[in-house]
Amino acid sequence: MAEVRYEKASRIYGFGGVGAVRAVNELDLNIADGELLVLVGPSGSGKSTALRMLAGLETVNEGSIFIDDVDVTLKPPQDRDIAMVFQNYALYPSMTVGENMGFALKQAKVPKAERRAQVEEAARILDLEPYLDRKPKNLSGGQRQRVAMGRAIVRSPQVFLMDEPLSNLDAKLRVQTRTELADLQARLGTTMVYVTHDQVEAMTMGHRVAVLDHGELQQVDTPRRLYSSPANLFVAGFIGSPAMNLIETDRTGDELHFGSTVVPLSDDVQADLKASASTRFVVGVRPEHLIQTPDGAPCGATVVEELGSDAFVHASMPHNGTEATVVVRVDGETAITRGDNLTIAIGGPVHIFDAESGVRLGKPVT
Amino acid sequence: MSNAVVDREVDSKKESRANEIKRLERREGWKRRLPILPALLFTIVVTQIPFLFTLFYSLTDWRIDKLEPRQFIGIDNYTSLTEESEKFFREAAWVSVQMTVMAVLFSLIVGTMLAILLDRKFFGQGFIRTLLITPFLVMPVVAGLMWKTQMLNFNFGIINWILNGLGQESVEFATRYPMGSVIVVLVWQWSPFMMLIVLAGLQGQDPSVLEAARVDGASTFGIFRQITFPQLRPFLELGTLLGAIYLIQVYDHIEVIVGGQPGANNLPFYIAQRSIGGGNRFGLASTYSIIVVIASIIIANIGLRVLSNLLEDDS
Ligand SMILES: Nc1ncnc2c1ncn2[C@@H]1O[C@H](COP(=O)(O)OP(=O)(O)O)[C@@H](O)[C@H]1O
Ligand SMILES: [Mg+2]
Repeated sequence: MAEVRYEKASRIYGFGGVGAVRAVNELDLNIADGELLVLVGPSGSGKSTALRMLAGLETVNEGSIFIDDVDVTLKPPQDRDIAMVFQNYALYPSMTVGENMGFALKQAKVPKAERRAQVEEAARILDLEPYLDRKPKNLSGGQRQRVAMGRAIVRSPQVFLMDEPLSNLDAKLRVQTRTELADLQARLGTTMVYVTHDQVEAMTMGHRVAVLDHGELQQVDTPRRLYSSPANLFVAGFIGSPAMNLIETDRTGDELHFGSTVVPLSDDVQADLKASASTRFVVGVRPEHLIQTPDGAPCGATVVEELGSDAFVHASMPHNGTEATVVVRVDGETAITRGDNLTIAIGGPVHIFDAESGVRLGKPVT
Repeated sequence: MSNAVVDREVDSKKESRANEIKRLERREGWKRRLPILPALLFTIVVTQIPFLFTLFYSLTDWRIDKLEPRQFIGIDNYTSLTEESEKFFREAAWVSVQMTVMAVLFSLIVGTMLAILLDRKFFGQGFIRTLLITPFLVMPVVAGLMWKTQMLNFNFGIINWILNGLGQESVEFATRYPMGSVIVVLVWQWSPFMMLIVLAGLQGQDPSVLEAARVDGASTFGIFRQITFPQLRPFLELGTLLGAIYLIQVYDHIEVIVGGQPGANNLPFYIAQRSIGGGNRFGLASTYSIIVVIASIIIANIGLRVLSNLLEDDS
């Protein structure tokens, strides 16, 4: 059990000056005791690097990392009392499942009988009892994944670190395992940092989710608030499936347009807009917050995705002198087909971002 | 039409279809065999026929320094190997065993250490690796000469020069330690070979497995002993066997460095001495050769088995 704290921690590849890459840049992050924090971001955004810095597998070039107020920045991995699950599981190929799971305890000179008891207990939790004497190469992908989990939980570490542990499983098993994993974490109550590129996984598992892009922390918040109140354009586009409609528009005085309609703005957004010197903004609306109304903006359906309970209509809308594509969620029963004309308007929360800086206008929605 | 006629017709149709399939299968088989046929014939001509001749000579008493014709004497040459007159053969066999074992063992140890040093990223890695491989590329005769004249020589060898610098007397290495001198040169030549094999094993390791072991609290030495070494084992076995097969046949180094003084004459050298080297006992020398071939085949068989295990593990 422990809290984790990143303080302006950076990982810089290459030698200073030109060509140096800040894989993680001045990361500030507090992770509470017992929390499941998910690091999410596109490929190459520095998630693995941030996790490996905490594990002690990457040098922290600037700043520091604390586990329970102990500065571990300069400590080697073996002195940090953490357990890590790797994307490819990294099982020891020459050892049996039992030996794999007991390896850390053996290094810690735990007596053999005690070690055996702990391995068997973990094997019981993970349904691995029949496989304790098998070699990893004779296991299925799902079983290997559980051995990797077992190797971590046997140690009762301070913090669990997981680097995309489910990405090598098939879709169905992945969904099932992610629930089991979240449940296991809740039962053990051990702090966990979980890395994934899959925003659905992040939203379903995380107590809080930290969004990374280009090595910079974009926002860290609960899944609910990330969805309802993205701090910037990147988070708005990254979180949610299908993605939020992000329509660029030029300001007309202190008004913004969405197709042929005027975007309804709250007072605080209005105030920020008035104060801003920028001319281009992005209007963000989630597909479920677009409604069909007779006095809405006209557009034509191009693709209709039927999902049963509801359907997503991709429509082409004359906007700002060109055609913009918007996605509208409609009832699954509605009989809209390709080529139909509809009129839509914003019927829910709207998010306005500065097109240049990506920064959100107005106060966060609470 | 009666049923019997229909049945017969169906049967004959089935039969011709089965024949057609058999014909296709035969053709398929020839398509596979034909390309390897030339290589097979070549191998038989250059290895098996000389071997059969040698086998025949080993059953004869054949000396070219006498006028008597070649005489068939059955297995007398083989039974004579245990007699007092053949104690030099047994000595040579024992030298072969010692020399091969020591040379393989030490080159394996040196090669492994070099491989561990090379298995990391550093500036000039490719250059250093090429430098380390060069001893393996030197011709055996040249290697022998280099060591004999430049390193081990009593008057102007580098090693004696260093010894003198340290206030020690010069040593006549090739006469005082004939086998040791040869082994040093063999290890120098064969360590790069072992290094390459072990390096392949080291680089085949999954780096995240080593990281996992570090996170699990293992020390650097602990990781080598518990994770790396078990994965390296098949590579070490392969190096041992390939090395042994080659090193059992060493001739040039002995000829050049010790040149027939007692103490470092292995089987190939002794065989040459007894036949073309002046002994002229071709029948007996053939017998020795057959013994060496049988011993090598046994070693090679074990080697091939190890190799195939290695390849199976990979898939
Ligand atoms: N050894 C390295 N040398 C140089 N750049 C690296 C190295 N490892 C990672 N990077 C860079 O750091 C960035 C972050 O990588 P990573 O943390 O693996 O991303 P993620 O896990 O989010 O996909 C990437 O742009 C990658 O190119
Ligand atoms: Mg990654």
